[in-house]
Amino acid sequence: MKNSSFLIDLTKCTGCRSCQVACKQWNELQSEDTANTGTYQNPGLLSDKTWTLIKFNEIEKQDSVHWFFTKVGCMHCEQPACASVCPVGAFTKTETGAVVYNGKVCIGCRYCMIACPFRIPTYEWKKAFPLVKKCTFCFDRQSESQVPACARACPTGAISFNTREEMIKKAKGLISKYPDRYNPHIYGEKEVGGTAVLLLAPITADFSELGFPKLSERPLPTWTWNALRFVPAQIVVVSAAMGFFYWLTKRKTKKKDASKEVRNDK
Amino acid sequence: MTNHWNDLKNADCILVMGSNPATNHPVAFKWIQKAIDSGATLICVDPRFTQTAAKAHIYAPLRSGTDIAFLGGMIKYILDNNLYFEEYVRDYTNASFLVNPDFKLPGDNEGVFSGLTAAKTAEGFVSGKYDRATWSFQMNPDGTAQRDPSMQDPNCVFQLMKKHFSRYTVDTVVSITGTPKDKLLEVYAAYAATGKPDKAGTELYAMGWTQHTVGVQNVRAMAIIQVLLGNMGIAGGGLNALRGESNVQGACDQGLLFHILPGYLQAPAASLATLEAYNEKNTPKTNEPLSANWRANNPRYMASLLRSLYDQSLPLEDAYNLLPKIDDGADYSWLTIFDEMYKGAFSGFFAWGQNPACSGANVHKVRQALTKLKWMVNVNLFPNETGDFWMGPGMKPEEIDTEVFMLPCAASMEKEGSITNSGRWMQWRYKAVDPPGEAKPDGDIITELYHEVRRLYEKEGGAFADPILKLTWNYGKHFDPHAVAKDINGYFLEDREIEGVLYKKGTLVPAFRFLQADGSTSSGSWIYCASYTEAGNMAARRGTDDPTGLGLFPNWSWCWPVNRRIIYNRASVDKNGTPWDPKKPLLQWNADTKLWAGDIPDGPWPPLALEGGKLPFIMKPDGIASIFGPGLADGPFPEHYEPLECPVEKNLLSPQMVNPAVKRWEKDGVPELDMRASCDPRFPLVCSTYRVTEHWQTGVMTRWTPWLMELQPDMFVEMSRELAELKGIKNGEWVSVKSARGAVDAVAIVTMRIKPFTIAGTTVHQVGIPWHYGWRYPDPQRKELRSANLLTPSIGDPNTMIPESKAFMVDVVKKEVSR
Repeated sequence: MKNSSFLIDLTKCTGCRSCQVACKQWNELQSEDTANTGTYQNPGLLSDKTWTLIKFNEIEKQDSVHWFFTKVGCMHCEQPACASVCPVGAFTKTETGAVVYNGKVCIGCRYCMIACPFRIPTYEWKKAFPLVKKCTFCFDRQSESQVPACARACPTGAISFNTREEMIKKAKGLISKYPDRYNPHIYGEKEVGGTAVLLLAPITADFSELGFPKLSERPLPTWTWNALRFVPAQIVVVSAAMGFFYWLTKRKTKKKDASKEVRNDK
Repeated sequence: MTNHWNDLKNADCILVMGSNPATNHPVAFKWIQKAIDSGATLICVDPRFTQTAAKAHIYAPLRSGTDIAFLGGMIKYILDNNLYFEEYVRDYTNASFLVNPDFKLPGDNEGVFSGLTAAKTAEGFVSGKYDRATWSFQMNPDGTAQRDPSMQDPNCVFQLMKKHFSRYTVDTVVSITGTPKDKLLEVYAAYAATGKPDKAGTELYAMGWTQHTVGVQNVRAMAIIQVLLGNMGIAGGGLNALRGESNVQGACDQGLLFHILPGYLQAPAASLATLEAYNEKNTPKTNEPLSANWRANNPRYMASLLRSLYDQSLPLEDAYNLLPKIDDGADYSWLTIFDEMYKGAFSGFFAWGQNPACSGANVHKVRQALTKLKWMVNVNLFPNETGDFWMGPGMKPEEIDTEVFMLPCAASMEKEGSITNSGRWMQWRYKAVDPPGEAKPDGDIITELYHEVRRLYEKEGGAFADPILKLTWNYGKHFDPHAVAKDINGYFLEDREIEGVLYKKGTLVPAFRFLQADGSTSSGSWIYCASYTEAGNMAARRGTDDPTGLGLFPNWSWCWPVNRRIIYNRASVDKNGTPWDPKKPLLQWNADTKLWAGDIPDGPWPPLALEGGKLPFIMKPDGIASIFGPGLADGPFPEHYEPLECPVEKNLLSPQMVNPAVKRWEKDGVPELDMRASCDPRFPLVCSTYRVTEHWQTGVMTRWTPWLMELQPDMFVEMSRELAELKGIKNGEWVSVKSARGAVDAVAIVTMRIKPFTIAGTTVHQVGIPWHYGWRYPDPQRKELRSANLLTPSIGDPNTMIPESKAFMVDVVKKEVSR
């Protein structure tokens, strides 16, 4: 499908976390060693092993308690900041709507992590050859005409999947049909020039209190492009060189560690 | 469920009380969401603000164990405001029946119904038994009950109900339950609005109602509300038990419980020495000409069951003698089994697909009971706390002689067969992969066991060998689910001509109305007759057509009885067969064809007002729903009693504290391991147990799954911010939760979702704990105290003996635990 999109209807999310597990299952992501920290939310944050997460927000307003469940993950921006800052072009906004990452060219500068307005990309800090990790929009499933794993697993219909135009149409239809249920703001329709992930919130909630940043409608790359396009290519070369040295050092340490292990075995 | 999952979409109002479907039945929420999309109101009544509460239009908290007070108040509200469905109540219930004038209500009789024999103690009557002689109707000479259709006679059921629940005033209810008055009234108004003929209200309950010393009466109270509002038998209505295991409905249908045989036939008592005596005692009779009294067919079903179980050449009488019998009045329920085991009554024990060392109430006693065994066979997917009890916390392996055998079995996706879901749908499932290693399907294990036991009996003889030697077991070495499913359906054992059609010997019986009392048919469970016929395996059907638009999907799988998707559906129409709700007609009588359209009707008879018409509640001897229910152990009306352990010194409704009919386990006043502490300053907090989405039962399957452990890694206790402040506990800190029976360690979740209750003017705090954890894993070396049931009391409902795990008293203290 071209220009595909999620509509995540938070009024229908029950916090069952089927999506969170389905994501790990399809993408073969390892579990994290977690502890209960006084909340149902676990793991606490997105990581290289957790690409989508249900956040549990308890909010008290005028003596009534609310428990909001929000799904976070890559928003697959129409004009992604991560792609615009990446010096080696590791990120691509594809025709399908997915922002995909090519680890083979990544130099580990992590500009993408800083540039992302939603703080989504994560890094494999513990690996020798670390890569950036984030939701792939199940690009592989989509290429086989399969719905992304999280949308497939959702039992209540909170995650719908179709073209962005259809999803916006559906969101607007829901808002006009159920004005007492929905916050009229479709998050992601206009934020940073639009995202492929669109969200609807209950009328009782404001997106900012659910942890979604207030952002301007101007695509982020348009702020940076005027400056960045003049960045000399040497920077790329320098970064690549730094990356090479980093790799060398890491390799040495690893060899040392390995020889230590051998000694211990003896 | 009287209805089924998909039918939830037809409701105008959904009351969730005693369950938490958003958490525990996530897929059900698909249908609840559809109802909401169509304008339905979702109500959640729960001590905690749960995931279901988060989605509800109205949330009302109540103190655990006070549901009857809450529902009794609703009954009073419905009656006081004339919100009941009068025609339905008058014609389809026993509201107009006249009750024995000697019958006394608790309000006039020290808090108990007439007929109680019990010891009187400081806390009221204890360990009582009711003589139900006065719980009866005044009879006409023709043997039918006397009625007052105006429902004005002071002795009629309607007036007695009104009098009984007149004590449940809003203020009294609020004082008992702690529910804010405005919320209580909001719930009453929203739910009572479904009393209009074209409105449907459904109720979803689970263990939140059954695990109480008044468990059955909780459900009874709602049954009364549902018939008052005309919500039984209609699309979007019903009283719906959400089952906690995929196939627990099927297991009950096939006779899992000790007191019933497959198809809910009564298990025979020892005093019923002959089949004739059994049939005489267990076949309901009626003099009501309009009652179908379907249960009058019981002798046909019993004969067919005996034919399916035993050598078919035996006379039926002899086959009956092979059935195990229950000593009259004996109780072989869970609590009794482990009490007897603790006293050394058993030498061996099969723990099959269960984990009693975590799942039973008061598991310290259960674990001690296991030490008294000579041997145990643990059949499970994984090693668990039960099989490995001897190396658990506090155990001295060198002092335990129990020999434990572990038999690994296949998981559901590693074998073929059927499951029957909460909505009574029998759904066929196929094998996806082979079981790993030596693991075998349960059926194969039983088959092997049968052949070996039989071989030993043949070789060595023994006391009463016939039940094994004459058992029919034509399944060869490997369990064949199709052969078993056909046996459950049943066969013609000789050529029979019925209604002009010849059914040949050896063919499958098409439906239970063809089953015979003379031994010429077999059926392993009569309610499943029609599930596997000459037309094929009905449970394997996957037709997605829905001609009524009500989500009945008549060609998807198969539903007992006879593919009827909503039971008591004759109550969805008036006396002439016209649906109460013309927008959602579940059934409709066609006067021209003289046939019903819609769901499979509850019997073929025409509507009540026509020649040959029958009353709608066909499984009841008198054909109507029982508002006055004289069959239970603890009263014909529900009455509020406090849990065995409660935070109040007085029952605000009567001098009787605890259900007088519950069985106490103390022997001569000595509790041994059955300690309790009510209104004890050492244990000031109400506690309830429950589940999380990510774990299942005692976690034997889910704790082994890292993706699920990641989401809910450890035992926790949820408490209010107010209680945490009082105790100096911070969110995320380790605490110890203690009851009179034991202690567990847990992480404190301090939350605004739990609020203190004001009960009779004082503040009462409630906490809650999940019951999925144990010591066996993730790390058996740590021998952690994590099982919620270390805290729960050994006390059960007098009708079902289901333990009271939903309301007991604890304390919470700070603790240093390193992990």
